Amino acid sequence: MATPLPINVGRLTQIAGFELVRMFLTKRGLIALAAFALVWLIILRYPIGQAVGIVSAPDFEQIARDISGSIGLSKLLDWPEAEFAMYWLIALYSFPVFGLFICSDQTVGDRERGTLRFLSLRSTRFEILFGRFLGQLAVLACLVAITLVATLAVLGFRDPSLLAGGFARALSIFLILVITLCPFVALMTLINTFARSSRLSIVLAILYFAAGGIIVGILQWQIPVLGLLDYLFPGVQIELLAGQNLPLLSAVAIPLVQTAVLLSVAQRIFARSSL
Amino acid sequence: MRPLITASGLSKSYGAKLALNNVDFEINKGAPVALVGPNGAGKTTLFSLLCGYIAPSKGSLEILGHKPGSAALFNKVSALPQDAQLDPRFNIDKQLAFYAKLQGMGAKQSQTEALRVLDLVGLKEIAKQRAGDLSHGMRKRVTIAQALIGAPQIVMLDEATAGLDPIHAREVRELVSELSEQATFILSSHDLTELERLCSQVLHLDKGVLSEHQTKTNNTDKHFYTLMLSEAYQNVEQQLQAIAGVSRVYMSQHKEYVVEYQPTSDPLDIALLNFCHQQHWQYRQLVNGHTLENQIFKQEKV
Repeated sequence: MATPLPINVGRLTQIAGFELVRMFLTKRGLIALAAFALVWLIILRYPIGQAVGIVSAPDFEQIARDISGSIGLSKLLDWPEAEFAMYWLIALYSFPVFGLFICSDQTVGDRERGTLRFLSLRSTRFEILFGRFLGQLAVLACLVAITLVATLAVLGFRDPSLLAGGFARALSIFLILVITLCPFVALMTLINTFARSSRLSIVLAILYFAAGGIIVGILQWQIPVLGLLDYLFPGVQIELLAGQNLPLLSAVAIPLVQTAVLLSVAQRIFARSSL
Repeated sequence: MRPLITASGLSKSYGAKLALNNVDFEINKGAPVALVGPNGAGKTTLFSLLCGYIAPSKGSLEILGHKPGSAALFNKVSALPQDAQLDPRFNIDKQLAFYAKLQGMGAKQSQTEALRVLDLVGLKEIAKQRAGDLSHGMRKRVTIAQALIGAPQIVMLDEATAGLDPIHAREVRELVSELSEQATFILSSHDLTELERLCSQVLHLDKGVLSEHQTKTNNTDKHFYTLMLSEAYQNVEQQLQAIAGVSRVYMSQHKEYVVEYQPTSDPLDIALLNFCHQQHWQYRQLVNGHTLENQIFKQEKV
């Protein structure tokens, strides 16, 4: 079978770009996009749109600070752009789950249909796998960017003087969110190399987090050092990251290392699998 | 001249099942090559090995000096894998243009190329339709079109005409015949007549074992004609045996006779046709040599 390297950047870009076409120019992709837009319209209208009113109400402010402090979110209350504080919490927990669903069919559908056979005569398996990963990540990055722009608009509507600071905040949130999403997409890349359908990929991902979490919990209880196994799970850092209590290096390094490991395992399996 | 494809001691097993057993062959540039054999003989396994979809269990396989699936073969080797489908959600021109871009063409050139190959299979007018909206036969022709993108040196078509109506099957045969000057085709099919028309070299697989045949030459010291009659006549073998130069006659199939002869100065084919005319026998076909079907399967009907 083919040696996976060298990488041809042109082919890689074509494969990744085609994922954007698949998401934004097909009926199925547009339906998913419409559902996504509807959910975020509700989020922007209520939790985010009303965030400032709730948090800055004189009767409520101290209670909010007490509650946030106890769950490690007090730093978020110092953000002048309260809309982004609310956005941050919602996006940080919802996008990874959404990402698992939206990235559930990276290669599995094409492999079952035989379409990968056409592709593999024109690009290496590594280009297909990594190109699809990049494409799916680009799709998620687009969705994150769209929701950030919408949140920025809500912020600007309330107080235009906060727009400049809001833009910088949006940019940093964008980068951290996309990096946080990387291992979730990579996990689906890996599962796609052996699953038989996108539905099964989702089921296996859920099992990985649910059953895997229980098993690691039990092992950790017996042998505390096995707590390190938590790093097998994408999003292990999210709890600390949510309250801005994680050093930037860890916030970036943990997901990137997880992504590299998941992708290299995926590549090893994919390079040896029959198409 | 270096062979296009060289297989040496090639074996592939799936668990305990041996799909290909120690296969050796060479394919040179030139006329199309046929790959025939019954269902389960190992044809698709061999195609999959040639395309790099699976790895051999033993032996070596080289295409243009490279391992199958190698990046060096992109743009040089193309294939129609059996049962592979395009993405049903996309317009076919978009998908073909995408493949052309992967083969290194620019945006505009890839669009032109997509339309060119669709035109070759007579589907230019449905370029904007989604693959999922096409009939089975049309989908097959589109997948043949993808194999013709660019200027491949080797084109492998697995069951290209299966499921096509006779008119379109004929068009595909004509297309292969036209393009065989530019590329070496490897065709698998159950239609031996089709392969006989197109191919000079035949790789016959049965239970994973390979044998080779030639369709257009008598490759032994013996010389044959195959005479196909329109009706069943009495004592044909005995009467044909009486013609000067004929050494042996036997029935290979119903209404089909193989005539073995010694070459002389008088052409036997003319004598055979004259004899049919004198006997008022209507003949359908006179083949110089054995038919491919007779070469591959048991010839003599007892």
